[in-house]
Amino acid sequence: MLSPLFFDVWNGIVNKDLKNWSWTLLTLLILFAMGAGLWVATKKIDYNWRWNRVPQYFLYHNENVKTVPFDGRVTKIDQAGDTATISVLSEDDDVQTFVVDAETVRVEVNEDLFEGDSLGSTFTWRIGPLLHGLWVTLWLSAAASLFGLIIGLITGLCRISSNITLRQLSIFYIEIIRGTPLLVQIFIFYFFLGTVLDISRIVAGISALAIFAGAYVAEIIRAGIQSIPKGQMEAARSLGMNVPQAMIYIILPQAFKRILPPLAGQFISLIKDSSLVSVIAITDLTKSGREVITSTFATFEIWFIVALLYLLLTSVLSQVIAWVERRLAVSD
Amino acid sequence: MIKTVDLKKTFVGRGQTVHAVDGVTAHVKKGEVVVIIGPSGSGKSTYLRCLNGLETLSSGHIHVDGVDLADRKTDLNKVRREVGMVFQQFNLFPHKTVLENLVLAQMVVRKRSRNEAERKGRELLKKVGIAEKEKEYPIRLSGGQQQRVAIARALAMEPKVMLFDEPTSALDPEMVGEVLEVMKQLAREGMTMVVVTHEMGFAREVADRVLFMDHGKLVEEGTPEHFFTNPQEERAQLFLKQVL
Ligand SMILES: Nc1ncnc2c1ncn2[C@@H]1O[C@H](COP(=O)(O)OP(=O)(O)OP(=O)(O)O)[C@@H](O)[C@H]1O
Ligand SMILES: [Mg+2]
Repeated sequence: MLSPLFFDVWNGIVNKDLKNWSWTLLTLLILFAMGAGLWVATKKIDYNWRWNRVPQYFLYHNENVKTVPFDGRVTKIDQAGDTATISVLSEDDDVQTFVVDAETVRVEVNEDLFEGDSLGSTFTWRIGPLLHGLWVTLWLSAAASLFGLIIGLITGLCRISSNITLRQLSIFYIEIIRGTPLLVQIFIFYFFLGTVLDISRIVAGISALAIFAGAYVAEIIRAGIQSIPKGQMEAARSLGMNVPQAMIYIILPQAFKRILPPLAGQFISLIKDSSLVSVIAITDLTKSGREVITSTFATFEIWFIVALLYLLLTSVLSQVIAWVERRLAVSD
Repeated sequence: MIKTVDLKKTFVGRGQTVHAVDGVTAHVKKGEVVVIIGPSGSGKSTYLRCLNGLETLSSGHIHVDGVDLADRKTDLNKVRREVGMVFQQFNLFPHKTVLENLVLAQMVVRKRSRNEAERKGRELLKKVGIAEKEKEYPIRLSGGQQQRVAIARALAMEPKVMLFDEPTSALDPEMVGEVLEVMKQLAREGMTMVVVTHEMGFAREVADRVLFMDHGKLVEEGTPEHFFTNPQEERAQLFLKQVL
């Protein structure tokens, strides 16, 4: 969202296009003023910003304390680089070694130890709840998009089929899904279908999202197919292709190019709508954010960060789609 | 090659019934070039589209090379392979290159290998005089070139009959000649052709027979000399006065 703005400014500077440049400058000024206003407002309510607490919820250094499982005596500490190997002799004359980080060694040679005493620690990088939530949101949306695309394609084809039952069924499905709120659908999937069919919350969440997206994708695909001139189907049929062949080789490839922009919009919506599955306790980005807030009270910071992460996902997706669109434009 | 007996096609829509083709009986012999002329809305296109099953018949019979199109058991896809069609609007596949336009149906329908299909495709592009454009996309070709590609695409299926529905009507005047030239060459080679056209010169020069349609009916039928110099029916006389 912001990158085109900076692009404009840059362009203005490079091309000495003063008029556009000054307008863009005005935009930036207004945005800056709004930001400043927000800042002053938060000053007034005396909110204590703690941005420094945020990074640990992306990645953190996890300390693993090593303890002796028996009573014994330290016989030897070998240091090699950053790690230390501690040998402990147990009361049954049995030597066991422990590897810890050199700086964390808490014992000395010949020291007597009791069961449960700590020797030192090792550290590992762990993924924090925000990154984990981002990942869950990402694959949840990807899975729902994929299934939504398949459902939408089938429904869209049924929608324009010459078979009346197929047509009516697809309209029925599309109308029901488009006429009810996604949040309610998610509850129905989780509480009703989840119980009746005994499916997990993740499956219920993905299904609800996929079936929701499918109804919209179906309409997009129907419109795309119907936007291809009738002559294309006739030309394909007159060459002896049957309907499925004509669809696969002639109609759908052309329709796909046209429906890519609305389809991309639909999938971007899906990423955002996926935040609703947090109500059935799926730990997606939104739910992770809520959990982090309960332990940090950094409410403002975390919600801003969560918003930024969604923005990151959606803008990466739209960049990818834009790239695909450019690739497909060769025959224009 | 083609026998139509009392062919009728009615369109029912928005409360009114249109008798687009209203009892046409006509035959086309192998190697014959038949030109259909008639005023706008007289059912020429509809008749032609019935011949390759793009429209379902309301009643009557069409036999193409002995196969009855009205028979429910007939596989229309099989019939259409043998009947090539060229449209007024070319209808090339815009997402495929010129060569791919020719290759696709050969591979999908005739199950030819890519090599064989490409060889056949190049041969035909040479024949219609646009061999050098094989890698272009249709949109970058002129109308005349596009229509020649469309003819080559139909020929690639090695049809027994070629149907042309006003193949030059959407073209700029200076491109009409190049397309007609390709069609004349086809006629000389003995292709069976049914051509709907307003090009009276072409009808005179190439046609073995001229059919004149009006209001869905076959009004007059005869050799070009007969038709252009001595038409019997009043409606045909009127029409000729207008176009000549
Ligand atoms: N799909 C359709 N649905 C309803 N009516 C149709 C349809 N196709 C054709 N018609 C009608 O059938 C009649 C014959 O149409 P057709 O296109 O065959 O005429 P034509 O002789 O080819 O005319 P032109 O010279 O303008 O191409 C017209 O009255 C037309 O409105
Ligand atoms: Mg017509």
